[in-house]
Amino acid sequence: MIGQTATSQSVAILAPHGRDALVAGKVMGKDRIPFLVVDDLKALANLVDNHIGAVLIVEEALSDPSSDVLKSSLAAQPAWSDVPFIVLANGSAQSRSDKAKSRIDMLSNAVLLSRPLHAEELVRSVQSALKARRRQHEARRYLEKLQERERQLYESEAKFYAIANSVDQMIWSTLPDGFHDYYNDRWYEFTGVPEGSTDGEAWNGMFHPDDQAYAWQKWSHCLKTGEPYEIEYRLRHRSGEYRWVLGRAQPVLDKDGTILRWYGTCTDIHEKKVAEEQRQLMLGEMNHRIKNTLAMVNVMVSQTLRRAESLSDAQTAIQARIGMMAQAHDRMINAAWAETHLLDVVETALSPHKTDDRRFKIEGPNLSIGSKQALAITMALHELSTNAFKYGALSTQYGTVHVNWSAVQNDGCATFRFGWTERGGPPVQTPTRRGFGSRMIEQALAGYFNGSAELIYDRDGLIFNLTAPMSGLT
Amino acid sequence: MDVKARKYAAVLVVEDEPLIRMDAVDMIEDAGFRTYEAGSADEAIVLMEHHEDIGVLFTDIDMPGTMDGLKLAEFVRGKWPSVAILITSGAIDISEESLPVGTVFLPKPYSMALIIEKLDSIAVQLG
Repeated sequence: MIGQTATSQSVAILAPHGRDALVAGKVMGKDRIPFLVVDDLKALANLVDNHIGAVLIVEEALSDPSSDVLKSSLAAQPAWSDVPFIVLANGSAQSRSDKAKSRIDMLSNAVLLSRPLHAEELVRSVQSALKARRRQHEARRYLEKLQERERQLYESEAKFYAIANSVDQMIWSTLPDGFHDYYNDRWYEFTGVPEGSTDGEAWNGMFHPDDQAYAWQKWSHCLKTGEPYEIEYRLRHRSGEYRWVLGRAQPVLDKDGTILRWYGTCTDIHEKKVAEEQRQLMLGEMNHRIKNTLAMVNVMVSQTLRRAESLSDAQTAIQARIGMMAQAHDRMINAAWAETHLLDVVETALSPHKTDDRRFKIEGPNLSIGSKQALAITMALHELSTNAFKYGALSTQYGTVHVNWSAVQNDGCATFRFGWTERGGPPVQTPTRRGFGSRMIEQALAGYFNGSAELIYDRDGLIFNLTAPMSGLT
Repeated sequence: MDVKARKYAAVLVVEDEPLIRMDAVDMIEDAGFRTYEAGSADEAIVLMEHHEDIGVLFTDIDMPGTMDGLKLAEFVRGKWPSVAILITSGAIDISEESLPVGTVFLPKPYSMALIIEKLDSIAVQLG
């Protein structure tokens, strides 16, 4: 119950015998002091429980056997409360027995008034007691306000900790000079270090050795200038791995602009950072491949034009070759960026010419092959197929082409062998004029594999052989 | 044996991409020069050491191995000062200062006509 009720501003009067109660009541009434008359200590104890303003009691009423009830009510008062008593004394103080003294002491906050009653003395005593009682209530309100504030502070702090520990970010705080004195739970979860071990300036040791000096310099600059802190660096995870984090901090200022504290966060941006690096790597690789492809197209066009019999022949050949290169590019895009397999490359290169499955026999292990080598072998197979259709085994009804490759040990070296053998075509004659295809196969192809290549114009059918170290495939 | 070969000094073509090298060699030979070809700086140096008739080095910059085209050009400039040097690259950020003194830079893709023109003027200077 906060605030003063009617009871708390009243005086309880206990004077069971004689005229004292009546006289006192009259005096109170005259000065408009609210009062209640009670008949026994039990009733008085009840009023004490209800925070009565003050008590006027005759000394003889204290010797009642039920005084224990009042005693326990008085003892049960809250910390702020000490009901003032005005005791109307029996006789003079000199003659009072120890027992009588202790009964008055039991009241804790009592003054003695001698009888017969003097009206003004009584009124002043009562008013003084009520005033003192009001001060107790004021003190109570003040105390309760303080307690409320303390509770709010506690709640607000609990709220801060709950929020600080519920986010994914690491949160920290420092004194104005940069001394770290707070980290949230996430910091300790991430770093795995014992609580308190990174207080002060020990946090710098958690950074990647290459990032420590830079971070320290940046942080010192912010401490000096009050500028917001923002930095990306590698922080040691409890697994021992360094992970990229984004660090940010800003100062909290008082109304004069003086820094009170710094509040900062660390956000784990490792996945994002790694993805960005991979994206850059892939862009670089793509750029490289596109440039390479354009250079190839450039050479192919130049070579075709140099060696063509007519412009219309050149046009047909260039279109077919660009189509083949586009297909090879598709193949390499669809396969994993870094790894392409030889069987896929051969199948794809031959697919436009494979109208009949019986005409081609393809045999070989599915070896990994680099993108340059894949493009080179695709170009070679395109030239061989086109030639076979025009003049070779595929120009007749029953001619066949056998494509085979293997990885073998040759003089202790892992060796790659690739072969193309035509059978069943018209008799082969060594050409008098070399086109782009044969030039490309004889001169350039081997270069991509760091090996040697040959075209054999065997009467029974054209033969192509490539021999290279296994290391030349990638 | 090439009927078109004239009294010009030979050109050493250094390029790691075999098809591009083949095309460059074809063009330069058609213009009447004898050629040597190498796929790396190491191969190029071996050829330089064995063929005194090489008067022009035509090299790409971006090559695998311990030495790229720039380092090769510097090495050749130091050891064979009379050899003329033509440098080419697909990279766009090549600064003049990074090139050895007296070299000619041609960005890729290059026009063969321009290269032949440069080679011809070099040939005239070399006599």
